[in-house]
Amino acid sequence: MTDLAALSSFVVAAVGLAVPLGLAALGETVSQRSGVINIGLEGSVIWGALGGALGALAVGPYWGLATGVLAGGLAALVFAGFAVRLGTDQIITGTAVTIGSLGFTGAVFQSRFGATGLALELQTVPAWEVPLLSRIPLLGPAFFDQAVTAYLAYAMVPLLGWFLFRTRWGLALRAAGESPEAAHAAGVPVVRTRMLAAVFGGAMAGLAGAHLSLVHTGTFAENMSAGKGFIAIAVVVLGRWRPWGVFAAALFFGGAEALQFTLQALDADLPYPLFLALPYVLSLAALAGWFGRSRAPEGLALPWPR
Amino acid sequence: MSRGFSITARLRPELVATITATVAVIATLAVAATLLALGGHSPGDAFAALARGAFGTWDRFVSFTLVRATPLLLTGLAVALAFRARVWNIGAEGQLHAGALAGVAVALLLPGAGAVLALPITLLAAAAAGALWASVPAAMKTEMGVGEVITTLLMNFVALFLAQFLVQGPLRESRGVFNQTDEIPAAAHLPALLPDTRLHLGFLFGVVIAVTLWLFLTRTPGGFRIRAAGASVRAAEVSGRFSVTPVIWLSFLASGAIAGLAGWIQIAGVTHRMYEGLSPGWGYTAIAVALLARLHPLAVVVTAIVFGALSAGGGAMQREAGVPEVWVRGIEALVILAVLTADRIVQGMAASRD
Amino acid sequence: MTAAARLDSITRRFGHVTALDTVDFELAPGEIHGLLGENGAGKTTLANILGGLLVADAGGVEIGGRAVDLRSARDARALGVAMVHQHFSLVPRFTGFENVALFNGEAWTRRGTATRGYRSQVEARARELKLAVELDAPVAELGVGERQRIEILKALMSDTRVLLLDEPTAVLAPQEVDGLFAVLREVAGAGTAIVLVAHKLDEVLAVADRVTVLRRGRHVLTEAAAGLTARELAKAMVGRGLAAAGARGAGWAAGSEGEPPSARAAADAGGRAGQSEADADPVAVLDDVTVGSGEAPALRDVSLTVHRGEILGIAGVDGNGQRALAAVLAGMVRPDTGTANLSEEAGWIPQDRSDEGLVKDFTIVENVALALHGNASHRRGPWLDWAGIADRSAALVDEMDVLAGSPDARAGTLSGGNQQKVVTGRELLRAGELLVAESPTRGLDVQATRAVRARIVELARTGDRPPGVVLISTDLDEVLELADRIAVMVRGRLIPVPPEDCDATAIGALMLSAGSTGDGGHGGGGNDAGHGGGRAGREHTT
Repeated sequence: MTDLAALSSFVVAAVGLAVPLGLAALGETVSQRSGVINIGLEGSVIWGALGGALGALAVGPYWGLATGVLAGGLAALVFAGFAVRLGTDQIITGTAVTIGSLGFTGAVFQSRFGATGLALELQTVPAWEVPLLSRIPLLGPAFFDQAVTAYLAYAMVPLLGWFLFRTRWGLALRAAGESPEAAHAAGVPVVRTRMLAAVFGGAMAGLAGAHLSLVHTGTFAENMSAGKGFIAIAVVVLGRWRPWGVFAAALFFGGAEALQFTLQALDADLPYPLFLALPYVLSLAALAGWFGRSRAPEGLALPWPR
Repeated sequence: MSRGFSITARLRPELVATITATVAVIATLAVAATLLALGGHSPGDAFAALARGAFGTWDRFVSFTLVRATPLLLTGLAVALAFRARVWNIGAEGQLHAGALAGVAVALLLPGAGAVLALPITLLAAAAAGALWASVPAAMKTEMGVGEVITTLLMNFVALFLAQFLVQGPLRESRGVFNQTDEIPAAAHLPALLPDTRLHLGFLFGVVIAVTLWLFLTRTPGGFRIRAAGASVRAAEVSGRFSVTPVIWLSFLASGAIAGLAGWIQIAGVTHRMYEGLSPGWGYTAIAVALLARLHPLAVVVTAIVFGALSAGGGAMQREAGVPEVWVRGIEALVILAVLTADRIVQGMAASRD
Repeated sequence: MTAAARLDSITRRFGHVTALDTVDFELAPGEIHGLLGENGAGKTTLANILGGLLVADAGGVEIGGRAVDLRSARDARALGVAMVHQHFSLVPRFTGFENVALFNGEAWTRRGTATRGYRSQVEARARELKLAVELDAPVAELGVGERQRIEILKALMSDTRVLLLDEPTAVLAPQEVDGLFAVLREVAGAGTAIVLVAHKLDEVLAVADRVTVLRRGRHVLTEAAAGLTARELAKAMVGRGLAAAGARGAGWAAGSEGEPPSARAAADAGGRAGQSEADADPVAVLDDVTVGSGEAPALRDVSLTVHRGEILGIAGVDGNGQRALAAVLAGMVRPDTGTANLSEEAGWIPQDRSDEGLVKDFTIVENVALALHGNASHRRGPWLDWAGIADRSAALVDEMDVLAGSPDARAGTLSGGNQQKVVTGRELLRAGELLVAESPTRGLDVQATRAVRARIVELARTGDRPPGVVLISTDLDEVLELADRIAVMVRGRLIPVPPEDCDATAIGALMLSAGSTGDGGHGGGGNDAGHGGGRAGREHTT
């Protein structure tokens, strides 16, 4: 019975940790499909967390989610303004946006709440229990007793799958990522497409950040994004740039992280950092083609126009 | 006439670089001052306090600014070397951890008799581990055509968790209290560079490596190949008649080795033990350090000191001017964006001239 | 009848090169209009302006009788102008159907559920045009002919008033060319005007209703194809260039049959034959060299011998294997089959001087070092001897008369002519035994052209042991003027030209021919330029 309880709490934790990763990674999938790798995603996550917190304080937790989305999108807009519109190097620009976001969110937070680090208490977004589905043994409570952010993440998976692979806009977006020259020749506005995709990715990362502050913890702390934006990039790789794959990869990464807490709770003497490293090793293996070829869009990180 | 025009329009690249960097720094200061003012702070007080904290006294400069500049100097050189060959090594952070772990492990496991050789052996081990860590993305790039941006980034996480695992498990201190290693034997400590300061020999290593890299890049055939391959792969192959694959390997491995040294030197010179969170992201800041130096090894010494000063002065800025230390990171970001922008503008002008 | 499209007095410059100079062009509905010219004549520029990819500096564009302002390919498409490119127009990892849908802004589904209608439209259109297309495989996995059919299909999915085809036959096998022409006739029959950019005369004559010839950015003629012969067209295409090349060229450009145009080349070859025989040591020998595989290898059973002190001219239309030949001769590419006996190092002036010949961010000295850095005599222990390299560079700048402030000037700041002088000077340093010069004067002004040619000739003519020179050029004048022997590259094969056939018309016909696959029918009877060329009968000694 305790085993089952432990398993159950593990699954709950795994899904809980997977939600912000999934949100950010689904956004980054769209961004990368358009040819933009946004290393500044971490910046969008932390801005989302802070924006969410401020919005929640000012109006309420649901508005906080919206301001989080806005804040994350704006951070990505800054990134895209430089890296897409101006054509600066995507990697270096993204690094700058991440560093600067971690700094400026800290500055804003401290000027608002003081440097003492008084724990901020936020009203959280409540969980919605989905009738029936939440009663599915084991999986029900994990997947269907979650805040709205989780359901948004679930909804995004088929939605983005449809968008990317079934619509003309998705086709144009992927063309911009595969071969900006060909996309341009076919009349796709490559720069605009990439800007929009990057901002969408940032908005999703902002939602992920708002989830951290308004669902996961109910507080804001400096650096609370804790590398989630970077991890999301690895999730995209392991998920092979496909929404369903990315969703599964997010669960996998979430599971690896949850295992840490479960093992601690069980007092099991297992080297959990190695479990945490596992998804990254698998991502590398996927890139190396050890289980089917996983290939990045061919125009990824290439500036346009050249 | 176009021919005459192209001659008069020609400027020495060093001059262009200096102008761009200066303009970028001024732009950064202006934007930072504006933001500080918006945040309700006095920009003048903030900058003055920051400067005092970094350069106010000899000891502030040597024991804080230069000590903090050291890991940035080494990782900055690692990044600069790789980027020179157009190898986008985002993995200095991971290579740094690999080097730190190898250095600590060897220092702790080395029998007492090896004391004399402790430093050389641990330095070698750290460099080798950094290179080894870089060899995975290098092989994936050259053998499988997998871009190094994502692979080096992924390798950072693997290194971070490996470090976590080791300091929590096999290398955990014998007291078993904290997640850190035992203190390394004194024989493996890097001696002080200047008496009565905290500055250790590692800084000098960094400077020596900078000079060596500069000589290597500008004066040797191997370095010339790295520059040529980085500037144009096709020209390197067709006009230089050499294959760029070995060049990529060389710069990748050397970059990893230098980053590996950075990790171990920080431990041997400052912390004397390994723990979780050793690096606050030096491997990433290094990208800014290298970029601001325009990938020139000697200039990296200067920019590393600038970033070291930002870090050392941040505390004083907070104490004396009431400006949170985190502003420093924001300013770092502004520097990078300003340099990128200035670069693009210069490129745009050059392109419209052609 | 209203013209399908009309260009009125179009001028377009690139830097200081005028690609099009007050050119008029008119396209009637339903006609196939051949647009002919040598490399650099401006035909692709013209097509790009009509296709919206380039904007003219001066002049007007009319489509369907209405003056229009084309700012992008999208503008042109909206007006019913579609373009089929050689490059960069298909997304390699997309399927054929995805590419068609992308180009036409259509939704797509893998199984065709949501837009089954469009899928069947595409299939129907393909049937209508008698285009055999593979719609479900990534285009990267398709052959060139298949890819081209997808290009055409995607361009013709919507109402198309004008279809522009840029060198569509360059990549095709002969039987595919016939298939393409059948499709074009079908399309034109339905009222679409077609512009066929080409430089193969007989192909154009076979399919076009009218022909326009451009030469060096100027309009030369527009006439009904029925009244033209390949010979007249060849003359129109190359005519004025020869006048510029000198009196001899002008002679045959005027068509004076009395004096064989190859007189000097032949005389040179004859006059120098004795000397050459004396030191008849080959500096490079290729024997049955093939590079690449499949239906269209880059090089196919190429044999040639380059002798000391001779200039072997290789004429041909771009993209017929010249690139691979140069790379093999320079030792950069190993033959897949056959053998290459080469000297240790060869000079190679690559065609693409600004991307391959030079590192633009390097100074002249550093660019010279590209050739010298591996050389033991330019090292001092582990160090590069920069002083020595700088001296050599200064001497080079002097000899080649490079207009630059100093050898420390960055290559990117030099004009094209001066860049080429640097490349030429540097490659001469390497050319102890062999120099491969690929279109060495393309895009250069008259003075730079003269300087570069003079240096190449001087190299081959002076000294006790002069190197051999392989001059690969798409400029027939240049080959005729400089070469001792001539061979033509067609579809990866090297066809020797007997000395008695060394006149522009014969060579032009050979290089502009759609080409049989090269065996038989082209005189010489074999593919060994070393044996069958101007010095027929001589054996090489390996």
